[in-house]
Amino acid sequence: MILVVAEHHAGQVNRASLEAIAAAQQLDGPITVVLPGSGVAALASSLTQADVSAVVALEHDALTNYTPDGYVSALAAFARTLVPTHIVFAHTYQTRDFAPRLAARLDRPIVTDCTAIKRDGQRVLVTRPMFQGKLQADIAFEGPAPHCLTVQIGAFRADAVRPAASPVGVETVNAAVSAADLHQAPEAPFREAKQAVDLTQAERIVSVGRGIKDQDHIALAQQLATALGAELAASRPICDSGWLPMDRQIGSSGQTVAPKLYVALGISGAIQHLVGMKGSKTIVAINKDPDAPIFEVADFAIVGDLFEVVPAMIAALK
Amino acid sequence: MSEREVLEFDVLIVGGGPAGLSAALRLAQRQAERGGDPLAIAVIEKGREAGAHALSGAILDPSALRDLIPDYAAKGAPLDCPVEHDDVYFLTERTQIRFPFTPPPLSNHGCQIISLNRFAKWMAGQVEAAGVDLFTGFSASEVLFDGDRVIGVRTGDRGLDKHGGHKANFEPGVDLRAKVTIFCDGVRGNLTKTLVQRFALDAGRLPQLYALGIKELWEVRAGRFPAGRVAHTMGYPLNMREFGGAFIYGLPGNLISLGFVSGLDYEDPLFDAHQVFQRFKQHPFVASLLDGATLVRYGAKALPEGGWHTIPRLTMDGALIAGDAGGFVNSLRLKGIHLAMRTGMHAADAAFDAVRANDVTATGLASYERAIEEGPVRRELFPVRNVHQAFEHGLLAGVAFSGLSMVTGGWWFKDPMPAKAGHERMNKLAHGTLPAGEAPISPPTPPPDRKLTFDRVTGVHYSGAKHREDEPSHLIVRDTDICATRCRVEYANPCTRFCPASVYEMVDDGAGGKRLKINASNCVHCKTCDIMDPYQIIDWVPPEGGEGPQYDGM
Repeated sequence: MILVVAEHHAGQVNRASLEAIAAAQQLDGPITVVLPGSGVAALASSLTQADVSAVVALEHDALTNYTPDGYVSALAAFARTLVPTHIVFAHTYQTRDFAPRLAARLDRPIVTDCTAIKRDGQRVLVTRPMFQGKLQADIAFEGPAPHCLTVQIGAFRADAVRPAASPVGVETVNAAVSAADLHQAPEAPFREAKQAVDLTQAERIVSVGRGIKDQDHIALAQQLATALGAELAASRPICDSGWLPMDRQIGSSGQTVAPKLYVALGISGAIQHLVGMKGSKTIVAINKDPDAPIFEVADFAIVGDLFEVVPAMIAALK
Repeated sequence: MSEREVLEFDVLIVGGGPAGLSAALRLAQRQAERGGDPLAIAVIEKGREAGAHALSGAILDPSALRDLIPDYAAKGAPLDCPVEHDDVYFLTERTQIRFPFTPPPLSNHGCQIISLNRFAKWMAGQVEAAGVDLFTGFSASEVLFDGDRVIGVRTGDRGLDKHGGHKANFEPGVDLRAKVTIFCDGVRGNLTKTLVQRFALDAGRLPQLYALGIKELWEVRAGRFPAGRVAHTMGYPLNMREFGGAFIYGLPGNLISLGFVSGLDYEDPLFDAHQVFQRFKQHPFVASLLDGATLVRYGAKALPEGGWHTIPRLTMDGALIAGDAGGFVNSLRLKGIHLAMRTGMHAADAAFDAVRANDVTATGLASYERAIEEGPVRRELFPVRNVHQAFEHGLLAGVAFSGLSMVTGGWWFKDPMPAKAGHERMNKLAHGTLPAGEAPISPPTPPPDRKLTFDRVTGVHYSGAKHREDEPSHLIVRDTDICATRCRVEYANPCTRFCPASVYEMVDDGAGGKRLKINASNCVHCKTCDIMDPYQIIDWVPPEGGEGPQYDGM
């Protein structure tokens, strides 16, 4: 049995939880998806569309607002009753916060940020990047189950989740939370900046780089984004110059995204940018320099002046 | 707003490198030997983990390690690659000439090729096992004083926004107070720099001379360069007046450590150490070695090369300076780790005795400088005291004097041999930079081939360097007008060339001129800008703790 720990925020299940289910479907065994919280049964029903054998709303007042104490206490007790072979998480900020501690509490191994699942005979191998993605390591778990793994955002595709033939119902389980475990009293969550965008949830992204030359030209990229129904993003120099807010930066010091469509305008493709977007399904790159590294990852390469190409694209889309 | 926290220690060590970790371990050992009330000892380190910012070739002379941890092998020290074979080459543009014999100072028999990163991690394990608190991810932003007595350090604030305002997660730095603070903040340490200025610790000493080392770790094809083989080169791509050379060390697992050290005392403002390293890799001798190889890691760090006469006064009321921060490197042997460890151990001895004797004034701590004067540190550094200064007169003079010192014990007509700080040697552009007949080596940089040669930004990626984009710049340029006006004309903005991480960029200011743009998040903490800026208006200060490069395996 495989346990998938799903995540929710502001009344919505995180899209990345579907990616974790897609990963779990590559392992052998029935899947139980657990959504910790309080009053989350209705929310959990959105997860029943996937081909899984159970969806559990793990309920407790202490889980109303996320705390690592509450989650570790509830999930450790829940995992001990189920004894899964694997526990799968999406590698979100929240997972990074509590999953290592959960693994330590269970005294079981955890491999984080996995990008693939393979098999070596009977053994399960998980792949994870090392040295900023330069090397890929295949890692086998040792010792008794459950084995914990977190999967990199975008490594498994939410749209590749095998759908259920007939959806299961949501089962509500009262979580066993030990009061002795709780040392934190959370306040209501807040967002650091109101306009913060989560580009990881975008299906289409238009991204601009130095080739845009002037802040005034950002409007042109915005027009293309609007025509495509895409979010606008940028490489580091653009955000560093303040031409776009920092929460729109893609790359190693910004966000890592894997949309269905990524259009790179005037981005040369420094490796720091590539690691943040190379998981995109279709990459369209427009650049004057035929030797620009961006073309090494592009599916469609347009060597040309973006100020000629982009207006033509906008016209064609209209 | 939260109160500033205060923590009290007996001995505080700033910097978790070879010097700081050796000092910590030595203190714990003294404690265990002598018993009595346990001393409160702590180490703070700005890297995310011990060794994260440790970068060196590196060949370890195990002498200090043997004295500190006699059973280091049984304790699993990562010394698995003894030096088997030493060669020295002189490179011309197309060929290499092997020296018929290896000059004695470059013979590394009995030494080990190590990863300083792994070594520091292992040392940190020993230190923690001995019961010392090691706080990684904490930078020290300023020294705390009571009058002229050092009473500890303040750690850096966390959660500042780009303009220094407080973000929601702001946490003020913590005051770490100690009876004795041992500064092991490395080459051009930001706190040691302020101490040297405040107490004129360098009065009567020669200016420190520095070099910049750029290093890459490569995985080569099997059999290309065996583990245990050591090669050093002189000559190309440097000219005869520029100090520097390369190292190639064979490590287990078909890894090689490949680096180029360039003196930060060059005259040509167009000199570009990063480009020199790229050209070195394209030399047939190196290119053949790297054929089919892959780059694994990149890093850069300055090193103090000036030697004995440049070491500042090391004791103050309540404080000591050890390791690279004090300039303990033998530039002739290209080694400093063992000296860092040794001075860390001496500093620990002095601090322990001073705390026990309840006299932590400079007088109470004076046994530190005595231990250096009377022990192996002076024995090693004094005979080579003038060697690096001799290289100021060119490669031939340097090599000739190095040979001569072995006979004369380092004597020269003027002792110390005079020298001036490296940044003062840089010529202004109008002066004509090189003697006739020698070509400048920094033509417009050719585009990298992304197999053998790379641009700086790619290097930054391979250094693992990370900094929050929305924090204040940790590179403080006191007057950016100079960059756009005087420096542009006089030196053509050498910061854009000497920084190995593309931190400094001159961009259009929108009014037909240029302005300085600082990409602080690229910084690999090498300190070159603080050292080499000709106007001395750049201050390197630590960014938020835990940021910076991640030198795994370096």
